[in-house]
Amino acid sequence: MVMVYLITILSFTIVLTTAIGPVYVPPLEIVSLLGNKLHLLENASIPQKYEVIILQIRLPRIFLGLLVGLSLATAGTTLQGLFKNPMADPYIIGIASGAAVGAVFSMLILPSFLFIYTRPFMAFLGAMFTTFLVYNIARVGRRIPVDTLLLTGIAISLFLGAVLSFMMFVAEDLHSIFFWLMGGFWLANWTQVKISILPVFFSFFLIYIFAKDLNAMLLGEESAQTLGINVENVKKILLVFAAFITAIAVSFVGTIGFVGLIIPHITRILVGPDHRILFPASALVGGIFLMWTDALARLLGEMPVGIITAFFGAPFFIYLLRERKGKK
Amino acid sequence: MPLEIKDVDTYYGSVKILDSINFNASHGELLGIIGPNGSGKTTLLRTISRILKPKVGAILLEGRDVLEMGYREFSRIFAAVPQDTTINFDFSALDIVLMGRNPHLGRLELESEKDIEIARRSMRLTNCWEFAERPITELSGGERQLVIIARALTQEPKVLLLDEPTSHLDINYQIEIMELLKRLTSEEKLIVIAVIHDLNLAARYCDRLVLLHDGKIVSLGTQAEVLTAENIKNTFGADVIVKKHALTNHCYVSPVPSPLKRQNKTEAGLTVHLICGGGEGASLMHELAKKGYKVSVGVVNMLDTDYEVAKLLNIPVVTEAPYSPISEEAFQAHLAVVDRANVVVLCNIPFGFGNLRNLEVAERALERNKPLLVFEATRIEKRDFTNGEATKRFIILKGKGAIRVKNQEEVFKAIGQL
Repeated sequence: MVMVYLITILSFTIVLTTAIGPVYVPPLEIVSLLGNKLHLLENASIPQKYEVIILQIRLPRIFLGLLVGLSLATAGTTLQGLFKNPMADPYIIGIASGAAVGAVFSMLILPSFLFIYTRPFMAFLGAMFTTFLVYNIARVGRRIPVDTLLLTGIAISLFLGAVLSFMMFVAEDLHSIFFWLMGGFWLANWTQVKISILPVFFSFFLIYIFAKDLNAMLLGEESAQTLGINVENVKKILLVFAAFITAIAVSFVGTIGFVGLIIPHITRILVGPDHRILFPASALVGGIFLMWTDALARLLGEMPVGIITAFFGAPFFIYLLRERKGKK
Repeated sequence: MPLEIKDVDTYYGSVKILDSINFNASHGELLGIIGPNGSGKTTLLRTISRILKPKVGAILLEGRDVLEMGYREFSRIFAAVPQDTTINFDFSALDIVLMGRNPHLGRLELESEKDIEIARRSMRLTNCWEFAERPITELSGGERQLVIIARALTQEPKVLLLDEPTSHLDINYQIEIMELLKRLTSEEKLIVIAVIHDLNLAARYCDRLVLLHDGKIVSLGTQAEVLTAENIKNTFGADVIVKKHALTNHCYVSPVPSPLKRQNKTEAGLTVHLICGGGEGASLMHELAKKGYKVSVGVVNMLDTDYEVAKLLNIPVVTEAPYSPISEEAFQAHLAVVDRANVVVLCNIPFGFGNLRNLEVAERALERNKPLLVFEATRIEKRDFTNGEATKRFIILKGKGAIRVKNQEEVFKAIGQL
């Protein structure tokens, strides 16, 4: 039921956010253009300028927003389930920073040995490396206490931030890196959508397969094991794919914080903790959220969208911290 | 034997926690694991539930090596209830129980009507179906425990392992859960192995007990074989009295205060003799010994509470056979002991024809100029079952200078003044 609502909202969002931008495009024109392209409508009388704006500028950007929102929300949901902790998110525990370092490294130094896949690949390496670093530092015996996880994540993020600053200091093309880092969709194009759509959906599906295992792991790892789950393996697979899906998002649009934190949390309040519903629901909510924040960014003179999500996210994070304190 | 634990050694790192553990359990048996903290109880349970891998040894179920089974297969046969059942995510109780079907379902397979029926049956069995729809986070500790046991049963296991299923619960839930385990063994023919902290609960419900100490099995068998004062002293380091419960005929363990130190207080040296029986002298014995007096006791029947307490406190005691009147022999021995005492206390005991001669001893003590304290909390007429004979002699005692006291404080005061 929730999914029906969300898909309806998603459809409206696609149309409405396409309308928003420096040039206003009437939603009706968008509907008729989309209908035309999908061979649902026949009366094609859309002004040429609208067609270019919609097809070449707005739509790739909106679909990339959807994919990135979906990726970050899925990564956040996975990490929160794995660490049994609603404060985990790819940005806070340093995975996104690792991906950023990998991506910047490839932009500055490496030749494009994998063509357009070089940057996503290096981002993935950076994300994986950071994930296992944080995981192993934060681990106490078999457990990963919340406080050490957050502290380790923040420490590693700070360190990686310094690495990024250093790379920018020695870089020649500072400007593009700087804007990329702040997180934004202004360079979105259909190529990015095309190369990310398959890996994103593939990762999403793979993570979704482990929905029931994650449910059981919320009851504690030992309980999960007595329910027939090979906990150590599931943990490794999920960490790899959470890092992978984060890396895809980061390599195209830079670091956009807090989406992976807020979205799963809000969605959990809406649909409950069952990952079989939580994964698709938070993926959709994440996509919708990022499409709207990007629309807002366009209205605010192409402000980096990372700034807007941080404006929402940081207070939310503080609210979560306070609430936890209240419970204790 | 369906479940065999064979020569199992388990290590944490390089530290050996379990040392050649060997025991069997059969279908329909409730086996309790007891032992002091740090003796390896939880480790043993975690080894059987394959959370920990034994370094040496084997665990066999109906001859099959359990350690060779796949994760899912294993969890269709073994179910475990952990010590900590706290859950921070607000699944409904039914959702939690349905997770017990995981080992039987594919990853993307939804629960069928049959799975829900199995979950419902488990929840009815554990008496928690009524809160199936409530969030697990809102249930009390006892209710949550029932839900977690229902989840384990939904796995349809042959072996159920529980780690202290009753700790932190009030007595009502303790009984409910232990009765449930008992039912599961007798009706469902499960093998149930539970770590139980409370020795009396273990004695009351378990068919057999395993007593662990320092990672080794110290004793294994029926409650009467395992729960002896000596075993408990050796493992827990606690002094206890083990009795048969009057109602259920199960072993009943009650603690006595830690071994008394014989302090060299100023009072030391005085010997106080108690004439008692029927438990009337027990607490006075203990208090006097604690204050550093030498104490002797007479004549009490064997198996009498006063007899047991005296034995426990290492107090010399003149005894008579159970339910027998005081014989001439015991009477003479009693006199000899009284002769060595500095003061005699006649406790607030009832008198029948069997122990009338104890009054005679009191009288002899007075005649030999021993101070005699007569403890009279209840009027003598009310505890005289000799048609007035005891009362008559009692009055004579008072006439000959016995000091009357009404409570323990007065006893200590009177003795202190000597």
